Formats: sequence, C-alpha cells, structure tokens
Amino acid sequence: MPELLRAEALTTDLGRRAGFLRPAVSLRAVDGVTLSIAEGEAFGVVGESGCGKTTLARTLLGLQREAAGEITLGGRRVSGLAPAEARRVRADIQYVHQDPGAALDPWWRVGATLDEGLRIHGISSAEERAARIAEMLAAVGLDADFGQRYPHELSGGQQRRIGLARILLLRPKLVILDEPTAGLDLSVQASVLRLLAELRARFGLTYLFISHDLTVVRRVCDRVAVMYLGQVVEEGPAEALFANPAHPYTRALLAAAPHLDGRAAGPSLPGEPPSLRRIPAGCRFHPRCTRASALCAAQAPPMEAAGPAHQVACHHWREAA
Amino acid sequence: MDAALVIEDLAVQLRGRGEVADILDGITLTVPRGSVTGVVGESGCGKSTLLRAILGILPGRATTPRGRILFEGRDILPARAAKPHGRIGFVPQDPYLSLNPVFRAGDQILEIMRRHAPGTRAEHRAKLVELFRAVQLPDPEAALRKYPHQFSGGQRQRLLIAAALCCDPALIVADEPTTALDVTTQREVLGLLRELVRARGLSMLFVTHDFGVLASLCDEVSVLYAGRVAESGPTRAVLDTPTHPYTRMLLACHPDRAVELLGIPGAVPPATAQPAGCRFHPRCPVAQPDCRQDVPPLLPWSGGRAVACPHAARMEAHALA
Repeated sequence: MPELLRAEALTTDLGRRAGFLRPAVSLRAVDGVTLSIAEGEAFGVVGESGCGKTTLARTLLGLQREAAGEITLGGRRVSGLAPAEARRVRADIQYVHQDPGAALDPWWRVGATLDEGLRIHGISSAEERAARIAEMLAAVGLDADFGQRYPHELSGGQQRRIGLARILLLRPKLVILDEPTAGLDLSVQASVLRLLAELRARFGLTYLFISHDLTVVRRVCDRVAVMYLGQVVEEGPAEALFANPAHPYTRALLAAAPHLDGRAAGPSLPGEPPSLRRIPAGCRFHPRCTRASALCAAQAPPMEAAGPAHQVACHHWREAA
Repeated sequence: MDAALVIEDLAVQLRGRGEVADILDGITLTVPRGSVTGVVGESGCGKSTLLRAILGILPGRATTPRGRILFEGRDILPARAAKPHGRIGFVPQDPYLSLNPVFRAGDQILEIMRRHAPGTRAEHRAKLVELFRAVQLPDPEAALRKYPHQFSGGQRQRLLIAAALCCDPALIVADEPTTALDVTTQREVLGLLRELVRARGLSMLFVTHDFGVLASLCDEVSVLYAGRVAESGPTRAVLDTPTHPYTRMLLACHPDRAVELLGIPGAVPPATAQPAGCRFHPRCPVAQPDCRQDVPPLLPWSGGRAVACPHAARMEAHALA
C-alpha cells in the first residue's frame, strides 16, 4: 500500500505568546512523533488524557502549527506553512469532532450545515449540492428528510452520522476520528463502528482513529501507536501489539482495561498521571515503571524493532517479554 | 436474605407539556448487605431516575410514585417519610462538576458533616483526615486546605468518595463514577471502592453502562430496558449466559465478544410513547403476538436469575452469538 501521510519528528508547542511583563508559556504537547499511514489503513492512536493525541491530530490537520518536523501528504511536503494556508493544502484530511452535537449549529437545519461545507469548497450548482447531500445521507443510513431537522432533534448516534456525512461530502482521503464512540451506548456504538467499516470500504477511506477505548481500537484498527506524554512509545500491527505488548506502559494500559470475562486486572500503575509541565528526564515513563533502572532515568530510550513492523521505545523491553 | 435495600414494584412518571413520561415501571430489586449490586442499561432506561428515587430527590414534576423503597426497615419513598440523611452516601458521575470551584474541597465536605453527623468541628476535621487517608489521597492534612482545581480527576473522585462516606452510611449509591476517568485511574478507583465495601462492610448500588466495569466490580446485576427490569441475577451468570433477548443482543454488541458488530435494530422508545406489552417487542427478533399485549413478568430462571421474557428459550434457537 502506498503511503498517504507521513509525519517525521513532528513537534508541536502549545502556549501563549509573551505579553507585557508576561513571559511566553509553552508546553511541548507533541514531541518528536514519527508515523506513517498507508492508504486504506485504519491507524489507531491510543493514550490517556493529556498524552497529545488530539494535538497530534490538529497538527496533521493544519489547525495547529508544528514547531519542528515535516508532514508529507500523498508524497507532497505540506509542512512549514501558516495555519490558514496549511489547512487549505490539507483539504484531503478531514476531522470528525469528538462531540458532533457541539459541531452543529443549533439554529441551522442539518441540511443547511451540510450545504455550507459544499459551498465553501466551491460547488456552485444548488442542484448538485442537493443531490450530493441526499446521496450522502443515504450512505450514512439516514432518510433524506433528516436534512430538514435541527440538531436537537437528533439522537447521539444520528448526530455522529451527520458529523460523518458532513465531512465525507468533501471527499477526503484521510478522516481523523477523534473519540468517535465516546459517550455512546453499546448498541449505538456497535452500529457506528459498523457504519465506519462500510464507509471505509465504499469510499476507499483511510482512518486515523484516536481513542482511549482499547477494546474498540483493537476491533477497528490495523495498526496502533501508543502515546505517552507527547511521544510514541510503541507502534505496531494491532494484533501483535495487543497480543504481545512490549512497552511497560502499553502493558499497564491493557491490564487496566476492564473486560467482560472479569479476568483479574494486572498490577496497577503507581504514581500520579503525568503532566507536561514536569516532564521527567530520560525515559518519560520511568517514574511509574516497575522495570526502571538507572539507565532509564538518565537516557531516553530509542525506538527499536520488536517484531515485524513493531517498534518500541524501552531500554528493557526484552526482559519484560 | 439480609438486604441493605429493597425496591418493590417502583413506578415513577414525569408530567410535562400535557404529556406523561413513563420513566420507571415495576422495578423490583434487592441490594444484599455487604455486596455490590449493579444496575446497567442504555441512555433512557431510567437509571438516573432510579437513583433519584432512592436519594429522595425526584424532580417536582414527578407524579406520586408507586411502590416501596425499604431501607433499614422503613419505606423511604413517600414524600413525607423521614429521609435517611447521611445513611445513604452518593458518589456522583462527574468529579469535575460536582465540587464548587470557589470553596476549599475540605470545607465542602465538612459542611455536609455539620448538617448530618454528630460531633464537634474538630472531631469532624479529624475524621475527614482519616477518611482522606482511607481513600488514599496523598498528604491528607494538606488536602483539607486545597481547592478542587488543585486535585487531578482521579483525586477528585476520591474526594467525592470520601464525601459519600463522611456520615457513616450503610449504603453507597454510585452513578457511573468512573466514566470521566482514564482507564488506569478507573482501575484504581474501582479497586478502592471494592476495598472500602469489604473493609467497612458497606453495601453498594452501582449504576453503569459499561459491562467491563460491571464484570470487575458487581456481584449482582439488574439489566434495565425502557424503565423495566429485563433480567437480573448474579453478574457472572448474566454475562456468561445472557437470557433475555435484549441482554443477549446488547452483549453481542460488546467489542470483546462480538463476532460481527450488529447493533440492535430500531431505537429505545421515547418515555412518552412506550409500546404496549413488552417494551422490547418492536426490536425483538423472537417477538410473539402475545408480546404486544401482555407485560412479561419477571420469571425465575436457572442460576438464581430472573428474566422478564416468557419466550427467552426461543432465543437459544435464534441464530445469534
């Protein structure tokens, strides 16, 4: 499969500019992330709150300017541009908001919201816009008369479907799904996941799937990257990564996820959740790691191969295996 | 059976705009002393109204409820019944919204104790420090003087657990207390709850929509659908061999278990227009003519369970995971 998107040593700073008597505050939310997404793939990014998942997505999308690193989309270099310009060049990447209800204007009928996107992207014929909206509503499993409804008249699952229809109208290649199943009931989640699989096959989409729900990621994704404090600590084929997690953090994360069979959870993760304001030296995970040694505190581990297409950044992954 | 809480045939309706919403109908469940009983169901099944009825905070537009809620030998449901202040502790869902940001967290809990617990202010403070220690908050003395924003999400949930325990309750009711937390934090909080129930001889009613959490915490479970109990019994039996068509289809949606993600056709009926007979019949694959007229009673089933479906055996033959 040809590569669709590549990020090389991507770094993003969040913060305020310096003001009168106020020094600039900045947090490095994404620090040296390298990843490559192949065409047609579902690529998962998992990690806890504050690990930089959403900032990574916003940077790839062009909403956030990268401080360093390079983004290549379909073989073309697209980084190094101001946010407005960057967003234009990256029209092939579209983002589905975490809370699709908040992304819809409560005063507008859903159809008008869908229409606006097409107008902005230069489809001037009203008939063509209407035809494309009707076709897309059908593709996401909604009747054409849903265009006449207001957002508050939709259920959570229907709002998700509208959110998908809205960006698919723009015919993207890569769709970034930010927590697409958060807050959904189990039966609705199942139908949304099913729809995502159908749309991917039908429109030849590539997904970047951001989630903290490991059971869902395991189900949906081909490859998975695990993030901790702004860095990717492990990456590999979903099957290999879930069956043989190499990084101690991945293990802890998998052990913490509750399962239906009620199997005893693994040892819990000691220490406080990390903060970008106090990034530990050496391996960022070492203060909470049961295998940490003096080396871990002194030196950040490099990414090394742990299997076919499976990489891990840990000094001691071999011993843990 | 020695029970901490018994709910018998509870029905609650809400009035509004000339409509009557049938929120709960014929809920019967028992929380055995010293155990954790789960209530699981999707949005709109009546979980929150059930909690409100137990806590005596039904909204003003609720009609006079029918049925009984027996706690410590008394029916606490009637509006004029003496409320068991402090004897029932409540752990809310969202640790971010449940504390007033402009008051010290410790003072907010001390205020509850001043109203409902005997003793002097100094005794209350000493007890709260001991409780902070029991819920494993770091540096309990200092925690007393901190504001809510100075705690992490997991720590705030621990604060709220301490608040629920501050008046020596016999029963804890918890409303999805871990949904807002990351999996590793969730694991810690669930472990703490289990430990507190064991060490203090508490009983707990735990509302959730997450079957994984249910499996790891609850001894008994009641599955709610559209305001009625569909199935109840020991958690392991219900999860391993779900019997009611709704429970079976819902569990088949779980990514851990699903062979193919199917979802459940149709949607939960609005509370203002509940179908006659079995409320699940419009979505049920094995519905019979009598399901449209007769309300199915909760029938005893193998493994100490009760199932509200006279045709559950047909589901065995139905091709479903």
